[in-house]
Amino acid sequence: MDKMMFLLSEGMKNLWRHKLTAFTAIFSTFLTLAVTGSLIIVSQNTNRVIEYFRGKYKIEVFFNDSVKDDRIVEVVEEFKKINGVRSTTLISKLDAEKIFKSQFGENILDLVGYNPLPASCVVNLVRYQTSKLNVNPIINRIKNYPEVDEVNYQGRLIYQIESYYQKFVKIMTAVLIFVLGISVFIISNTVRLTIYAKKDLIKSLYLIGATRLFIKMPFIIEGIFHGLIGALFASILLIAGMEFGSEIIFSVTSIKIQYNPFILIGILSSISIVISYMGSSRAISKFIK
Amino acid sequence: MIQLDNVSYSYDKGGGISNVNLRLNDSEYAFLIGPTGSGKTTLLRLIYMELFPQVGKVMVDKYNSKNIKPRKIPYLRRKIGMVFQDYHLLNDRNLFDNIALALHVIGFSKDEIVDRVTESIEEVGLEGKADHYPQELSGGEQQRACVARALVKDPEIVLADEPTGNLDPVTSFELIKLLEEINREGTTILMASHNYNLIKGRGHRIIEIQNGTVRQS
Repeated sequence: MDKMMFLLSEGMKNLWRHKLTAFTAIFSTFLTLAVTGSLIIVSQNTNRVIEYFRGKYKIEVFFNDSVKDDRIVEVVEEFKKINGVRSTTLISKLDAEKIFKSQFGENILDLVGYNPLPASCVVNLVRYQTSKLNVNPIINRIKNYPEVDEVNYQGRLIYQIESYYQKFVKIMTAVLIFVLGISVFIISNTVRLTIYAKKDLIKSLYLIGATRLFIKMPFIIEGIFHGLIGALFASILLIAGMEFGSEIIFSVTSIKIQYNPFILIGILSSISIVISYMGSSRAISKFIK
Repeated sequence: MIQLDNVSYSYDKGGGISNVNLRLNDSEYAFLIGPTGSGKTTLLRLIYMELFPQVGKVMVDKYNSKNIKPRKIPYLRRKIGMVFQDYHLLNDRNLFDNIALALHVIGFSKDEIVDRVTESIEEVGLEGKADHYPQELSGGEQQRACVARALVKDPEIVLADEPTGNLDPVTSFELIKLLEEINREGTTILMASHNYNLIKGRGHRIIEIQNGTVRQS
């Protein structure tokens, strides 16, 4: 217990003993996490945009005139079970007549003497899905029903939006991995400088019988402290930026940027611990064979 | 017990030791004498297993250089107290913390550390200097601090590599007397020096080393 306390206190004291290297490590972690946090907020809000578009996707299904109303209700219920369908809205012949009257101001029965408008339904698609939403299998399943006369949907538009979204997800993932990789590299090199500055300590520890773990632990603990302090500053910057900037963005674009500060702090702290641990372990392992 | 059997070690750039046979019994006090570059430090490094013999074997207590596992080396070093010519004290911590570090490594409790470090500081005559930093101490005081650090863990062996190299004659004699007191309590001492005048006539075994070979033991 006393040994653990000693290692912890050594890690903390080292922050103060080596202010310049500590500052460099904290600053590089801060920069990395500020970029990472921004990317996370951007991707969260991009998800909301794609969810908005998906909410607008509509498949209109028109039924044959000869199909009875009961059967149409059954078929529409079956549509709901298709993978990728969020909800359905049935529009009976009577509903279609009312819609015609509301839109054109005239009763179709007065115009043509009977109701030629077919029963139909609107199929709405799922919003929350990170993978590409492919509408073709849904359309094929719907078209296979003999009761269905015609299916209208914005096929090309949906395909394009989904393709762009997938490209965006891939690019964001690549950028994120790149930024995190760079940060591990920077932290690793900063810690190597720290270790080099403390080569006398390491030599002394070796000679008085310290195990490799005992020598490594203060450096790793110190690295994690650097990371957490960097994460704290990055969180403060991003939260302040969001509080101030989201109002301006909303006034210009009517888009309300959403984020959860607690989740953001949690994610950044977790990332900082992981990258600091990786960076300092990498550095110390290279130095202490 | 320290034993070297037919030990040879040479550096890429030359120097080292060749075919050394040596045995040091428990509680023995021996001087290792020889000019600069004769192989004294190499021999000490082989004993605390910072180097491993290219030929032969080194045995320290139950540890054998031929089959010791790397993770066991720290445990060997905990039995050995090291004293260096250039002290190897850490400038970023005070005397107390420098000495206490040896006990933290072993895992002593906080209370035990305070007791042992205080006792060790008194033993080497540095009372009242516990919170001084190395740069605030004289050369003699730094060397005594180095001895205190070596002694604080009650080592079975003390290896001193030219401990008087940076000290004036009076302080050097005081240090040797201090090591003799420690030896009287049962600690094996091997002290390397190039200064024959300092060690002659003290009644201890003298091991002479020249060009990497033990000439007289």
